[in-house]
Amino acid sequence: MKSKFILLSIVVCFFLMNKSYADQKQLVGADADYGEHLFGECVTCHNSTGLGQGIPKITGMKTSQFITKILAYKTKEKENAVMQMVAERLGEEEINSLALYLSKLK
Amino acid sequence: MTKMKRRTFVGLAAATTTALSMPSIAFGALPRVVVIGGGAGGATAAKYIAKDSKGAIDVTLVEASKRYYTCFFSNLYLGDFRAYGSIGHNYYGLAVNHGVNMVHEWALSVNNAAKKVNLGSGESISYDKLVISPGIDLKFESVNGYSAEAQSKMPHAWKSGTQVQLLKNQVKGMKKGGTFVMVPPPNPYRCPPGPYERVSMIAHQFKKSNPTAKIVILDPKNKFSKQGLFMEGWQKHYPGMIEWISAETHGGIKKINAATMEFETDLDTFKADAASVVPAQRAGRIAMNAGVNNGDWCPIVPASMQAQADENIYVLGDASIAKSMPKSGFSANSQAKVAANHIRGSLTGSKVFTPRFANTCWSLVATNDGIKVGANYKATDEKIDKTSGFISKTGEDSNLRKATYEESIGWYSGITSDMFS
Repeated sequence: MKSKFILLSIVVCFFLMNKSYADQKQLVGADADYGEHLFGECVTCHNSTGLGQGIPKITGMKTSQFITKILAYKTKEKENAVMQMVAERLGEEEINSLALYLSKLK
Repeated sequence: MTKMKRRTFVGLAAATTTALSMPSIAFGALPRVVVIGGGAGGATAAKYIAKDSKGAIDVTLVEASKRYYTCFFSNLYLGDFRAYGSIGHNYYGLAVNHGVNMVHEWALSVNNAAKKVNLGSGESISYDKLVISPGIDLKFESVNGYSAEAQSKMPHAWKSGTQVQLLKNQVKGMKKGGTFVMVPPPNPYRCPPGPYERVSMIAHQFKKSNPTAKIVILDPKNKFSKQGLFMEGWQKHYPGMIEWISAETHGGIKKINAATMEFETDLDTFKADAASVVPAQRAGRIAMNAGVNNGDWCPIVPASMQAQADENIYVLGDASIAKSMPKSGFSANSQAKVAANHIRGSLTGSKVFTPRFANTCWSLVATNDGIKVGANYKATDEKIDKTSGFISKTGEDSNLRKATYEESIGWYSGITSDMFS
């Protein structure tokens, strides 16, 4: 029983690591330092520690979810004047760097 | 601020311990940054330099107050949307979480050649790079008859703190059916929509408890920030209560008399039962002392926020000439991150990224009626140039306005956490 549990854990861990690797592999031009620097712009509004009242928390967001949302603001499919303005000047390198940095945050 | 109060030299226990337990500091091995002013510019700069350098830079923040009350959201306190305590913040987070050495004193002068800041206690602190973020001083003399004495009768309440409490008491105690006179400042000044949000919040108070009261705005300008949005909101929420009189209509405020509460203009003499007078402004005095000003404000290098007059000094926020950015807490926070990145790069060789600036200003017109204006900026050789922007529209539906107000609450929580924790 115990050995099965360990085996399962290893498989799950491998899957998660692999998935994370697969996510990051697609992040063309991503630079975690640049992402951290850009993240400074986010936390003027997105409280990294609070409840996310009024403005949602973005820490802990999945990479794919983050990219989908930013792109939706960029194309103005998603409403919010501030976020549309933020997304407007984020290019692929910026979005991927932010995504990489966010994925490293706990 | 004619008389500097001598403050006790108090380093927070944790910060002092940190500094003394690191012998490298004692031997001067670490580069040292001194930040003057613990508001949206200075607190943010101190935090980011300390946080991102991970102990490679010794950061000292000189701020006289141990508890900092934000100017932003002080209008919401006037309107009973916020408790006074909720806009006050301390510096424990900067000391404990990031090792910032807090010095609760006035910075009296700067010796640029020796790279030293002289403190009120007589002590001095050496720096490799100095950040000056002192906010504004008020030019009382810009309104004939206004003075530091008159501010108790006609609070400016433009630096938050007890002046805002005083103003709120006077608004609440104003006689029934009385007249409140608001005198906004001329451009450029801290928080362009602030005087008009203030009027909105005072009108909100009057609507509840003094509905026949009137508000007269004697403006030294002929137009103002978010004008169409405020005017629409005043008509909708406070019909007949607020009268805005432009400079070209009243011909200029010739004289005010705090004893009789009279405002003399070409158009008429207005008698107030309560009033707020916000005079013209200039960079905080320490910026003048450091010689980084040109007239009332400090020219900066747009790409780094370095003072044009001294490459070892950075000027942030309201004190700087950061055209086309408005003087706001959001702007100062944004500029601080650019400066922090540049300072760290110059002292430790870390990467310096292309500067990115942004600003958004939210204002509350009435319950659940929030409006906003914002823009992105980039540094050019000449200025911090606006690249894109937005503004709320007149006639927006109430759900969007409510969401905008709620967003502003989230922003307040975000920026104060970003500054102080």
